[in-house]
Amino acid sequence: MNTTVLRKDSSAPAEPAPGGPAVEHRARGGAVAVTGQIALYLLLAVVALAVLLPFIWMLISSVKDDRDVFTVPIQWIPEDFKWENFSTIWTRVPFGAYLGNSFFLSVVITFLQVFTGSFAAYGFAKMRFPGRDLLFTGYIATIAVPWQAYMVPQYVMMQKFGLVNSYTSLILLQAFGAFGVFLMRQFYLTIPDEVSEAARLDGLTEYGIWARIVLPLSKPALASLALLTFVNTWNDYMGPFIYLTDNRLWTVQLGLRAFIGQYDAESAMIMTGSVLSVVPVLAVFLLGQRYFVQGIATTGVKG
Amino acid sequence: MKLKKKLAHIAPLIVATALTATACNASGTDSSSSADGKTVVKIALWNYKTTPEFKALIDGFEAKNPDIDVQPVDILADNYPDKVTTMLAGGDTTDVLTMKNVTDYARYATRGQLLPLTDEATKLDKASYSGLDDYDLDGKYYALPYRSDFWVLFYNKDMAGTTNMSKLTWDDYAQLAKKFTKGSGSDKVYGAYHHIWRSVVQAMSSAQTGGDQLGGDYAFFKDQYEMALGLQKAKATLSFSAASSNQVTYDSQLTTGKAAMVPMGSWWAAALLAEKKQGKNDINWGMAPIPQIKNDGKTVTFGSPTAFAVNKKAKNADAAKKFVTWASGPEGAAAVAKIGVTPAYTSGEILDTFFSVEGMPTDELSRKAMQPTTVQLEMPVSDKTSDIDQILKEEHELIMSGEKSVDEGIKEMDDRVRNEVQ
Amino acid sequence: MSVAAPPAPKTTSSGASAAHQAAAKRRRRRNLLVGWSFILPNFLGFATLTLVPVIGALAISFTDWNSYTTPKWVGLDNFQRLWNDSNFWAALQNTFYYAAGHIPLTLVASLGLAVLLNQKLRGVHVLRTAFFFPYITSLVAVAVVWNMLLSPESGPVNQFLTFLGVDHPPGWTSSQDWAMPALIIASVWRDMGYYMVLFLAGLQTVPAELYEAARVDGAGPWQRFWHVTLPGLRPTTFFVTVMITVSSFKVFDLVQVMTEGGPGRSTLVLSQLIFREGITQGRFGYASAVSLALFLICLVITVIQFQMQRRSER
Repeated sequence: MNTTVLRKDSSAPAEPAPGGPAVEHRARGGAVAVTGQIALYLLLAVVALAVLLPFIWMLISSVKDDRDVFTVPIQWIPEDFKWENFSTIWTRVPFGAYLGNSFFLSVVITFLQVFTGSFAAYGFAKMRFPGRDLLFTGYIATIAVPWQAYMVPQYVMMQKFGLVNSYTSLILLQAFGAFGVFLMRQFYLTIPDEVSEAARLDGLTEYGIWARIVLPLSKPALASLALLTFVNTWNDYMGPFIYLTDNRLWTVQLGLRAFIGQYDAESAMIMTGSVLSVVPVLAVFLLGQRYFVQGIATTGVKG
Repeated sequence: MKLKKKLAHIAPLIVATALTATACNASGTDSSSSADGKTVVKIALWNYKTTPEFKALIDGFEAKNPDIDVQPVDILADNYPDKVTTMLAGGDTTDVLTMKNVTDYARYATRGQLLPLTDEATKLDKASYSGLDDYDLDGKYYALPYRSDFWVLFYNKDMAGTTNMSKLTWDDYAQLAKKFTKGSGSDKVYGAYHHIWRSVVQAMSSAQTGGDQLGGDYAFFKDQYEMALGLQKAKATLSFSAASSNQVTYDSQLTTGKAAMVPMGSWWAAALLAEKKQGKNDINWGMAPIPQIKNDGKTVTFGSPTAFAVNKKAKNADAAKKFVTWASGPEGAAAVAKIGVTPAYTSGEILDTFFSVEGMPTDELSRKAMQPTTVQLEMPVSDKTSDIDQILKEEHELIMSGEKSVDEGIKEMDDRVRNEVQ
Repeated sequence: MSVAAPPAPKTTSSGASAAHQAAAKRRRRRNLLVGWSFILPNFLGFATLTLVPVIGALAISFTDWNSYTTPKWVGLDNFQRLWNDSNFWAALQNTFYYAAGHIPLTLVASLGLAVLLNQKLRGVHVLRTAFFFPYITSLVAVAVVWNMLLSPESGPVNQFLTFLGVDHPPGWTSSQDWAMPALIIASVWRDMGYYMVLFLAGLQTVPAELYEAARVDGAGPWQRFWHVTLPGLRPTTFFVTVMITVSSFKVFDLVQVMTEGGPGRSTLVLSQLIFREGITQGRFGYASAVSLALFLICLVITVIQFQMQRRSER
């Protein structure tokens, strides 16, 4: 199913550009290429602006009065700019502490997910032993069950272990998902077996191959896994909501929802907080971008 | 390689911090008495900081009972019932649970998750309570209400001018709404604003016609729908689609002068006062009795009480019961009335306290609005409530957004409630 | 199902001698130990905290558990109820509708973006960042702005359609027929940057020599995309396809914020039904039955995808 769908539709977006690395693009030169590039830039710029529109709305709302956030029609230019929103939020709630908590959780979970995920993926992609495929099936199968279905049984278990209302529960819960294992396995499959075969002949153990050959070769995958895990943990609301009760453990997403009351909401504060909470994620993206687009791969065969 | 090296540096650090963090969490969360020997009562509630009634009750109670330490367990208002359900499933021992609405209350009570409070309830002066009967489950009580909200008509005094709003029928109301509508574009002022909740139309019809929202025959909704749709068509209210897709808040409609009249629950008064205090609005507002279908001099409206219950697995059940009883009694009522919240227990004295809150409109009409003849429960309680509620909500959306005619929508409600609800 | 990876270290023992056989046996056992040692750190956490509750949750579908009292075995009662529940069928249909739109569009959009933005153009990193923004923008902002863009009377989209000569532009989120397309558009817009990151990572694994060779053979950009990029991306494409598929069938957040399942129940999806029946109403037995149905659907589709993947590898 996947491949056929892909073939039918893929003509549309790929049209103006060649596939793959385009270092070659400049070399050819010529007026046609230049006009083509300008057109491409224009197109991308317009699309990018459209893509950013909701974020722009968020930015504008963050300096409004609460009551001016949701209006008909949308007010694109605030009547008066309430810049002080960005200073009051730090005193209205312990926003700095929330940021710290979110950061701590995201970093720990990302680290464990990337580390154990890439480790396990080696077993699934490059080793052959009985029970492997069954195990992998187990991983994949759980992805298909929505969390809403098992969050309560899971909570009951955690309560029995005495772990609720602590970071340990959330870390254990989110660090060992199937996502990382599956992602890394798929990338390891692109590394030719000859590479590890050669290393084996050189006397490296399987652990050595993983650490010194496979891991360095899968840098783009590691970076993208780390980024996506970080973002998802950072933005998660329901998990921390269910497991963290003490206010001092709260994450940014919980802190933001605290501005929603039973009957009303401080919408401008929510948007101010949302803008602030995007900053760390953005930093991680800019940092990670270097890794997942930088290297143009060689087959990795030495010599 | 660089990435790996960095990871190698960071990893031990992370693990170490993780361990210390968890070690901190484990300590000192589970105790039934505080360090100074006081009995600890934990109470599950929402948005402690922005819902002043909780602090008012806790402070008032602790002043009377110095040997008891009441500790709030702060939960987000948005998903409060979801969290409480999950916590209770795990065998949580929080002593007092706030019951956000009667439907949730019935669910917890029938599952056996609450301690009976029938003895405490029988001791109460029932005549002075509004909403106490709603907690009667076959003669047993598992929660006692401490506040009771009901719907009144909020209006902008400057826009209403000298109009007499003391005895409105819904027809009068519709006339007024059209009269108050002015301007166009971004200067448009609507005569009224109807929030997107189904209760605005449905619970109102039910309270004032006696129709049963669980009955499966919804012809009694028809007049209210015609009224609401008529105003929408005459552009005297913001359209339902615009309100829902823009997530419009009712508060902004009155406080920014976009609408002259807004039917809404009495909880709004406290919020409007708080905003005024912080300088967030400068609106000159008042309350009037909710308009009526029958013109018989009575004021019939609907509302919904909020209550405290005691967890069956409470650590300190006796102290918890003490708190719940106190909060629902005259002293608790005085404490919440002082901050502009309508308590379940009422008396002339409490009403005076309520209207002496700074900024509360003190005119005769507002005072009259706060003394309705009858307050019917917003949605009756049964094991079918949630299913029917969902169907009525879905069909309400379709009627109000013009996807279905009133007759089609009502027929669909009848059919679905009869056939789908088991 | 069997989801074999291409053969890893070859452990076939062709020699018939006893020594050979013993060596092969030893190697197999070593492989088993080493293989498990790789998987164990992740598997321990995964098995106890995810696999067990998942199995537990699915088993609950045969009981009347309400989250508090001891569950009672009720056999197939929940499934009988499922069969007669019009909400379930409506949600099932809507979920398939959503998936049918969301899967191919997101796949194409994210792959297209990745290929475009993998080039060394000036300022391309700014664009890459821009396209990732939708995923980190607050859902409320996404819902409000899309509802504004798609507003039936005053929205720019409908104004443009009217300009093009469309007489009755769609009512989008306030219409039963158009709410789902509106939702699909917004969700593709939101998710494409997310999957773009995965495709970008995948593109780095396509060997540069292959492009070089293709160019020498006189292949144009389009042919290079077709014959080098796509085959080289196959493992990534497969992963992304599976993830998009599963997440489409489990969609929850955006629907909840943008339409709440309405108008009527025209955008009610299975995850919402599960949440509503389970957490809200406490009918965990029934909610689990719906989950089991959703699980089986996802499983069947994933198995088909794995089979097709294997066939195309051969």
